[in-house]
Amino acid sequence: MRFKLIGATAAVALLASGSAFAQSANLTIWSWNVAASALKSTLEGFNKLHPDIKVTVEDLGNQQVFDKMLAACAAGGEGLPDIVTVENFEAEIFWNRFPDCFANLKDLGYTAEIQGKFPDFKRTELEVGDVAYAMPWDSGPVAVFYRRDFYEKAGVDPASIKTWDDFIAAGKKISAANPGVVMAQADFNGDSEWFRMISNEQDCGYFSTDGQNITINQPACVATLEKVKEMKDAGTLTAAIWDEKIQANTAGKAASQMYGGWYEGTVRSGSPDLSGKWGVYMMPSLTPDGPHAANLGGSSLAIAANSANKEAAWTYVDYALGTNEGQVAMLKSFGLVPSLLSAVQDPFVNEAQPYWGGQKVWADILSTLPKIKPSRGTQFQTDADAIYKATQTKYFAGGYPDAKTALDDAAKQIETATGLPIAE
Amino acid sequence: MPIRNRSAYFFLAPYLLVFATFWLWPIISSFLISFQNTRVNPWKFSASVNWGRLIGDPAFYNALYNTLIILVIQVPVMIALATLMAVLLNSPLLKARPLYRFAFFAPVVVGEVAYAAVFRLMFSIDFGIVNKLITSVGLSPVSWFDNANAAMALVIIAVTWRWAGYNAIILLAGLQSIPDDVYEAATLDKVSKTKQFIHITLPLLKPIILFCVILSVIGTMQLFAEPFLITNRGGPGGGTETLGLLLYRQGFLSLNFGYASAIAYTMAILAITISLLNLWVGREQK
Repeated sequence: MRFKLIGATAAVALLASGSAFAQSANLTIWSWNVAASALKSTLEGFNKLHPDIKVTVEDLGNQQVFDKMLAACAAGGEGLPDIVTVENFEAEIFWNRFPDCFANLKDLGYTAEIQGKFPDFKRTELEVGDVAYAMPWDSGPVAVFYRRDFYEKAGVDPASIKTWDDFIAAGKKISAANPGVVMAQADFNGDSEWFRMISNEQDCGYFSTDGQNITINQPACVATLEKVKEMKDAGTLTAAIWDEKIQANTAGKAASQMYGGWYEGTVRSGSPDLSGKWGVYMMPSLTPDGPHAANLGGSSLAIAANSANKEAAWTYVDYALGTNEGQVAMLKSFGLVPSLLSAVQDPFVNEAQPYWGGQKVWADILSTLPKIKPSRGTQFQTDADAIYKATQTKYFAGGYPDAKTALDDAAKQIETATGLPIAE
Repeated sequence: MPIRNRSAYFFLAPYLLVFATFWLWPIISSFLISFQNTRVNPWKFSASVNWGRLIGDPAFYNALYNTLIILVIQVPVMIALATLMAVLLNSPLLKARPLYRFAFFAPVVVGEVAYAAVFRLMFSIDFGIVNKLITSVGLSPVSWFDNANAAMALVIIAVTWRWAGYNAIILLAGLQSIPDDVYEAATLDKVSKTKQFIHITLPLLKPIILFCVILSVIGTMQLFAEPFLITNRGGPGGGTETLGLLLYRQGFLSLNFGYASAIAYTMAILAITISLLNLWVGREQK
């Protein structure tokens, strides 16, 4: 009897300490660079509401987080922190290979109502069937970042650039008026960002939105590749990797760069002396009345399945990503574009930004969010992207008669590598 | 088992345990994994999913081709250069020999990441010193990073710069082991220096050269750092993707361990075959 009593007391004590644990917990998050710094900027507001939950953000670097997560999940979740940052386009590999490594956020309070606060294109890659593995964080609505002074000197009004042909024509004027300045740069060496941005604008991608078919050789993708080559051949685009683009920005060698909205922070912190000289306009399209909206990049937060503090972790994730306060703190401090739809209505978004010559850049960039089409990375993203890049290099060097043949070949190679069928 | 042997194995046990756990088991395990479809959960046995893909995969042939191109061009050029450097280092006319020896050996000591960064700057298309030199003599600048052939040349230049001195030091040791009286006798017989080099130095140096070639072949088969760091992960568009990079990409970016294991086994088989070929070509004529 006595033993039973002790047992019962112990059980009660355990339960009590269990719930107390949820209130006061030490959480660890793995993240990288600007994203990690942005998370830290939410902690002050979070700890006012939840003083007993201590959050430690570990800034490990992008590749390191991927590698450590891979090792930890392969070891059955051993050594994972409570919360991890997952880049959207590589997210599906993790859900597919290690479905038991992450908690289902729906069990923790991620209701349909909260899900509805995010745009669909952000959620497609984070949810598999009935399981939500991660909550959308930032997104990358694409915009063109441009040097006002270079455009003015050439007499080009950015508002008049509606199509890619306008962009090419403007580039010729700008390079003529500003010797040594190129219109824009693309990473033809190690990335495929221009193709991915424009094809997403045209509602095409490597795979169909349901992830079941290969769509890279669809007409919209073919038109995209043709346009990218046209821009390369016209000298509108020159090759430069990420670091070289930043060098060109600072040295005044590039008149524009196109990226996701998160590039705002990179320009602003990379070239602080050029305050007032930069501006933003919407991406051109293939036709004047085209969508002028696409997405590039963006991340999400997931909770480890074997975390001892899942409830506390959810409390933090819901605050940082699911409230205007958390999302706008990260937008202000490090330019991370909220994917939370209600954050678009925050007063800060409508403020004129001094660095951008008084332009309300966030209002402009965020206004494209509702028009963005979903794009599916699938678990085969790295394979497909490598095949696309090889095809692009070969096509630029004259290895294919036309863009259709090039992308037909790419589609066939992706079929071999993945086993998925090519869409009709 | 005789008692004597038993105690020997007892003393060997710590090593054997480590060997079995960290060498033998992974070797066997990766062989088994190469027959698994590792892109489904749980893994499923399938003999054809990885090996079948390997046979028809353009990315694999591209990586194999790149690796062999480096092998065929870089290794002979580097060994020839290293031999020349070794002979010059061995010359009695040379002053401050230890300084030169160190200078030739220094690239090996430099960290890969540091030297890759410097190479990237030197070969930068718009701002690099190499293109400045090329344009100053009236030629058009080379797109070192977005032209596949130029990028391949760059990788070969970088690898040669890094390893030629290392091989020269090994060859120098070989040169110094050739007795002086052989040369003395040849000089007395009025044999020219060039003929001495061809008929005395090279044949006596052959085992050392062979050793250097085998080391370089194995090194090239596993080449990773240069195309990863200098040409940005095997860019442009896989133009410098070696087998090592393909293995990394499949294993650790696509998380497809089965296919990566199949590639690893293919690499090992290739390295063994080429080394055996080398030994056969360089065997002692009876």
